[in-house]
Amino acid sequence: MYNVIQLFAKYGAHILFIILEVVCFALIINYNKTQKDIFLNSSNVFAAKLSEQQNKILQFTNLKAQNDSLMRENATLIENIITSEYLTDKIPAADSLLNQYTLIPTIISSTTIHKRNNYLTLNKGYREGIRSDMGVIASHKGIVGIVRNISENYSQVISLLHSQTKISCAIKNRMGHGSLVWKNMDPLRMTLESIPKHETIAIGDTVITSGYSTMFPKGILVGKIETYNVIPGSNSYNITVKLFNDLTNIKYAYVIQNRFAAEQATLEKEVANE
Amino acid sequence: MNSAIPTNVFRFVFIFLVQVMVFKQVTFSLGGLAYIHFIIYPLAILLMPIKTPRGVLLLSAFVMGLALDMFYDSVGIHAATLVFTAYIRNIVIALLEPYDGYNMSDVPTIKNLGIGWVVSYLSITLLIHIFVYFSIEAFSYVFFFEIFLNTIFSFIVSFIVILVAQFIIQTKY
Repeated sequence: MYNVIQLFAKYGAHILFIILEVVCFALIINYNKTQKDIFLNSSNVFAAKLSEQQNKILQFTNLKAQNDSLMRENATLIENIITSEYLTDKIPAADSLLNQYTLIPTIISSTTIHKRNNYLTLNKGYREGIRSDMGVIASHKGIVGIVRNISENYSQVISLLHSQTKISCAIKNRMGHGSLVWKNMDPLRMTLESIPKHETIAIGDTVITSGYSTMFPKGILVGKIETYNVIPGSNSYNITVKLFNDLTNIKYAYVIQNRFAAEQATLEKEVANE
Repeated sequence: MNSAIPTNVFRFVFIFLVQVMVFKQVTFSLGGLAYIHFIIYPLAILLMPIKTPRGVLLLSAFVMGLALDMFYDSVGIHAATLVFTAYIRNIVIALLEPYDGYNMSDVPTIKNLGIGWVVSYLSITLLIHIFVYFSIEAFSYVFFFEIFLNTIFSFIVSFIVILVAQFIIQTKY
């Protein structure tokens, strides 16, 4: 007993400290909701924070898969836009579940921009249904080129930035159509030729695809009119078009599959042979 | 020594009232990043005479803490923190002991022990106090960053207030 009293006399303050702290913590845990919750499942709070961080890191590892699925989604959305451009003036197809145009999402595996004749290579080819003379677009805004050669798994595309490029284009809400060519080695600007000079046009007008060819459906946005003039003695405008898409840094492209391309081509060939 | 008791009791009550009537109202948040609390009540314990028995320190800290908790609706948090501060007070005093030791009747004031001693004594104890306070409030070191920010900002504002008070109010005991 004496020992206990002596012990208490010597360490009384420390024991008192411990007792008081225990009392305080008992009070804290019993009467404060937050602390009680944390005390009861503090491991859960820690685990939740940890798994949140883990998720953040792991998200990077499947970015590629996510990109692929986003591209497929985009393809569907652009198909819908193209279809809706037609809804007003088109007899429904025999099988309305199948659109006339389907998009094949691809990744651009190589590209040049600084030569006079530029080409791109896509990472999909014959096996995925790509054929030559199909159009290639970057999104609803902006065309990329036309498929030229295909192999089993790759396809070569004539870029817009090519001296032979000639794409049938029109100006939105105006009459007339002309062809888009690349003359001036500027990867952001192209020239629209043979719009008759009696048509009214204005700077800032939107240039769209005309839909006369089998490659591009009508209404894909190409660019804006930057400047225009009439070359003396000529009968048509010389229009500089600022492209919507920047071909120098595109990574993804969609190949347009036109279900009726062969039909239209055959018909037009018959006419030509007469 | 006897006249020290009424002075300390009066200071104890005065600091308590100032804390709950004035500084409790000016708690504000800094752009949602950190909460600034003016925490001046540890002064009541820190300014007690140096040779005050530890038991008295601990018990008065406990009483003060519980009383504050009633006003702050945080049962036990202030009490636990203040009891801890009262416990480490003597350790800090021992660490800062001048070459010729303390006088029996010394109270930790600028006049008795010099400004350097008071600044280091109050800043060390107050920083520990505020850090412990926010740790117990958060109750989990998952929130370490928040605890850290709150501690830094609250320490700065509280320490300014406390130090100014040392110049304005100078007691004999």
